[in-house]
Amino acid sequence: MAQEEPTLPDDEDDKRLMALVAQGDDDALRLLVHRHHARLVGYLRGEVGSQATAEELAMEVFIRLHRAASRWRPEAKLSTYLIHIAHNLVLNEWRRRGRKPTTALEFAAEPGDASQQSARRVAELDEAFQRAIAQLPTEQRTAILLVVQQELPYEDIAAIMGVPVSSVKTWIHRARARLRELLKDFYADE
Amino acid sequence: MNNPERPTFDQELAASLSRGRAVAVPGFADRVVEAVRGERRRRVVIRWSSAATAAAACFVAILTLSTPTEESLNRQTLALVARDESVQFADLLGAADDLSLLSPAIEKPSVVEVLNAPGS
Repeated sequence: MAQEEPTLPDDEDDKRLMALVAQGDDDALRLLVHRHHARLVGYLRGEVGSQATAEELAMEVFIRLHRAASRWRPEAKLSTYLIHIAHNLVLNEWRRRGRKPTTALEFAAEPGDASQQSARRVAELDEAFQRAIAQLPTEQRTAILLVVQQELPYEDIAAIMGVPVSSVKTWIHRARARLRELLKDFYADE
Repeated sequence: MNNPERPTFDQELAASLSRGRAVAVPGFADRVVEAVRGERRRRVVIRWSSAATAAAACFVAILTLSTPTEESLNRQTLALVARDESVQFADLLGAADDLSLLSPAIEKPSVVEVLNAPGS
């Protein structure tokens, strides 16, 4: 039986990799990107509604991470730090475009093993949720994505958004109410 | 009454969002490393061009601020006299003659008048 090598917890391993990145180790950077990019792109796609833009922004996040590697202090988890950078880039993106997203798109649910009919319902529902989320105010959208999609604790979300925890709770409460309102046709009998 | 088999709004919201939680992009890490290398190269070029500019500025400053010898000072003085810019300017405008017309007409006293003047 092959003996597994002892592995470091992700946080410790991230710290070790960041130290190597600060010394110019591209393999360490590649490993970090490989480990974190999927969640980052997922979050960004939820925010901007476009796969291409999400990838561009994620690329910029990692370039900034590389620039800041020598100054980085492991006060928070690296994944939280990455989302913090991503959130700031999203805000810049909306400022640059001068508008918020009005449509959600490009989201195709994977049917998996479900039957054709239920796969269609999943796809419809996903699209409806994406459209509804795109209509939320920026703060509410970010808060609901971070708590429900990324499963971050309120404290981390408050740190990422630079606001008190109470504001995060309020935005999440309002986002749920607004989504319920926007999707009332799907849940008319609830 | 809720249908127990049908997922609730919160459950479906969570399920829908979690399906888009992680979107793996093939080759993304390589793209990032390539972009970082490109940026590193640009920074090296910028650093070297800044150093070259600073070195050139120092070289010019050394040439300009070096102490002139007496001989070179004399040469510069002669050169300045040789190209008296005020004369050149007046010549250019053809104003040398015209200026005499504008000067006040004062009759110069003769030598005899000067010598006879009281107190001389």
